[in-house]
Amino acid sequence: MKIRYFVYLVLFAFLASCKPEVNEFTPSKGTADFTTYVALGNSLTAGYADGALYKSGQMYSFANILGQQFETVGGGKFVQPVVNSEFGVLPGKLKLGYSIDCLGVTGLGPVSDAGDLDSYTNHVDYAVNNMGVPGAKVIHLLAPGYGNIQNLPLGLANPYFVKFAATPDITVLEQALSLSPTFFSLWIGNNDVLGYATSGGVGDAITPVDQFGGAYAMLVQNLTQGGAKGVLANIPSITDAAFFTTIPYNIVAIPDTMQYAVDALNAAYAGYNAAMEQMGKPYRIHFQLGPNPMVIQDPGMEGVPEPLMFRQMTANELALLTLPQDSIKCATWGSAIPVPNQYILTETEIANVTEAITQFNDIIKSTATNNDLAFVDFNAIMHQVATTGLMFEGVTFTPTFVQGNLFSLDGIHLTPQANALVANYYIDAINAKYSANVPKVSITSYPPIQFP
Amino acid sequence: MKKITLFLLSAFFLSTTVFAGGYQVRLQGNKQNGMGLVGTSLNMGSSSIFYNPGALSLMKDKLHFEVGASGIMSNIDFQMEGTNSNWQPNNPVSTPFYVYGAGKINEMISVGVGVYTPYGSTAKWDEDWAGKFLIQDIALKAIFIQPTISFNFNNKFGIGAGFILATGDVEINKAINYSDNAKANLKGSTLSYGFNVGAYYQATDKLSFGIDYRSKITMKMEGGDATFTIPTALQTTIPPTNKFDAELPLPANLDFSVAYQATDKLLLAFELDWVMWGVYKNLEFTFEEKGELLNSSDPREYKDTFIPRLGAQYAVNSKLHLRAGMYYDQSPTNEDYFTPETVSLNTFAYTLGLSYSPIDMLSIDVSFLQLFGQKAEKSYVPDNFNGTYQSITYIPGLGVSFKF
Repeated sequence: MKIRYFVYLVLFAFLASCKPEVNEFTPSKGTADFTTYVALGNSLTAGYADGALYKSGQMYSFANILGQQFETVGGGKFVQPVVNSEFGVLPGKLKLGYSIDCLGVTGLGPVSDAGDLDSYTNHVDYAVNNMGVPGAKVIHLLAPGYGNIQNLPLGLANPYFVKFAATPDITVLEQALSLSPTFFSLWIGNNDVLGYATSGGVGDAITPVDQFGGAYAMLVQNLTQGGAKGVLANIPSITDAAFFTTIPYNIVAIPDTMQYAVDALNAAYAGYNAAMEQMGKPYRIHFQLGPNPMVIQDPGMEGVPEPLMFRQMTANELALLTLPQDSIKCATWGSAIPVPNQYILTETEIANVTEAITQFNDIIKSTATNNDLAFVDFNAIMHQVATTGLMFEGVTFTPTFVQGNLFSLDGIHLTPQANALVANYYIDAINAKYSANVPKVSITSYPPIQFP
Repeated sequence: MKKITLFLLSAFFLSTTVFAGGYQVRLQGNKQNGMGLVGTSLNMGSSSIFYNPGALSLMKDKLHFEVGASGIMSNIDFQMEGTNSNWQPNNPVSTPFYVYGAGKINEMISVGVGVYTPYGSTAKWDEDWAGKFLIQDIALKAIFIQPTISFNFNNKFGIGAGFILATGDVEINKAINYSDNAKANLKGSTLSYGFNVGAYYQATDKLSFGIDYRSKITMKMEGGDATFTIPTALQTTIPPTNKFDAELPLPANLDFSVAYQATDKLLLAFELDWVMWGVYKNLEFTFEEKGELLNSSDPREYKDTFIPRLGAQYAVNSKLHLRAGMYYDQSPTNEDYFTPETVSLNTFAYTLGLSYSPIDMLSIDVSFLQLFGQKAEKSYVPDNFNGTYQSITYIPGLGVSFKF
């Protein structure tokens, strides 16, 4: 019987059975030491998203992603000051939902997502590696008492730092140094212009360049003193964020059936136009059927008496996401009533923001160079997102609100997928600078914005 | 929105397993399977319906039947670029089969019919894997039915032709980047036609030549069912159920083959298959509703390939034949458009086989193939999806043939 040939064949098949194994990646720390990684920064480092610092959003902070990836190359455990609430520390969390506007039309958009908070009075008693403090400016990381609850009413403390400050008067920097970091990330400076920008140039001042430079140098000098290596990141062009680009300048839409409204508005502004002409000013207000630029307040109009400090918005100016759209639709904001200045970034204000970012970024870049630190150019990356978009693993990133995958529901902070993207850029920079091989993450492993 | 949706619908249709160079395994006869899938210059009975209808009229028996199947067990490993993250699809064993029956009407004419499954397999990636927006899983079942007629002149030169009726079922799933678990399911059937013509020349007792052409078959899917599992809020933008049209070319093959009876016991054969993949330029989808949003056209830009094959058969005695073979199957894919729906790598394969005839009218045919998809770094540029793939596939097969 030739059965043995069959046996041979089966045996051979068995012996031959092996599986493919792709192992192209050898993790390595290179010349860096990730034993103790400390992340310093603001809301972006903290993992703030959707208008709040909440538990699952915090889990997806780029710093936490980095911390986990560093663990594959000898990094220790990365500890965050866990917020034990899906609604945050302070109210303001947003979700995508339906709301009915003043015209009775139901629309999909960010709505309040309220629930039990994990207040800043619930103190985090363990040592943390993520020192991201939402709202912090450069100078705040050096400010004693920034985590002291007594200072809150004075506006000198920050509830997010109050929550995890080791002692009331310790500075963020001191607390970071107390861990003897071997590696650090520092992404700070956004709020030094953002506070000004998000209040339409009225609520906050841009940090003076000298002050920024001095504080920034002190931070990096202290962080590197013990021989720690690290990575610095610069300030993105924040005016490309969805917060500034979602509401069009010409949102006042007059339907074809309402010629009477056009006529009434033009009649009402005839006096304004005549006055401007008389003063030799270029400002004119004119309405027509279809989309019209909003009429906005502008205290920066030189040589114009205060009651006339309003004009139509230009295409180069930005309306903020905080602008109450119901007021446009039903309360004649932007047409009969000028939109308050706090909702608008004028060309001058944009120029101020842009100039400050350029100056701050020069400081950050030269600090990175002088201290031989890794550097991530998020300004250039953001520019690329805004102009061509980015594509990774079939996920597109554009600044478009909600649909662009980049910005969470507050229009400024990142989605989990965007945090993964940011973490990968950090890893690229770190790998390049320190001849390391820290593995990147798969962006598709992180959730997109959830629709109802 | 449009851009995003385009990606979600971009790459789909047939798979690796089905369609790729590396998996375009023509398991249409367990004797040929053992000989590097060489078949066009061989005269091994009713399986000539597939390999070369021209040889059918020269078959040695009055009636010949073959039935058999293979089990394709494919293993793929993928590592994403810059990461230490690997994914392996859980491909179920797919079982292509064949049934042939042929008879001689007279010395000149033979007729036969074959039912076979030249394309039929599954690639099943994890639902949540890195390439989920390109493909989660894909399954194709295709059955070809081919009535065939063959003529010979002077018992040396035969020509034959078969008409192919091809039925196909395809189902694809891919994730959509709106909320967790959003996905698109596309499902449809096709009925297409083609033909298979061949010529066979028994030049001497020892030397035979074969040439065979199988036409391109365009699988046109019309009115396929598209189901979008998406959040309620998006259902006015993307209708949950929709119809789509798509088409996919199954490329033409032109096979040249020569066989040489080196000794009484040893038969050697060589074959070169020209697979005209160049016709696969784009994968396009047209939707009945919201076409302006959903329609897509994604580049594939395949190129023609040539597959050299070597096969040998050794007759131990009249009851036992041993076989071996090998081939090299180039990937037809384009460097910039390699998608995980079709993990087609340059593939080296060896084959083994044997036939045992306990009685004269019956032959039990066994084969075993192992395919090594060469490790390679690949990109699908439109989605910026990059990584390294490797594959190893095992294909045991069993068949029986009867002659009268």
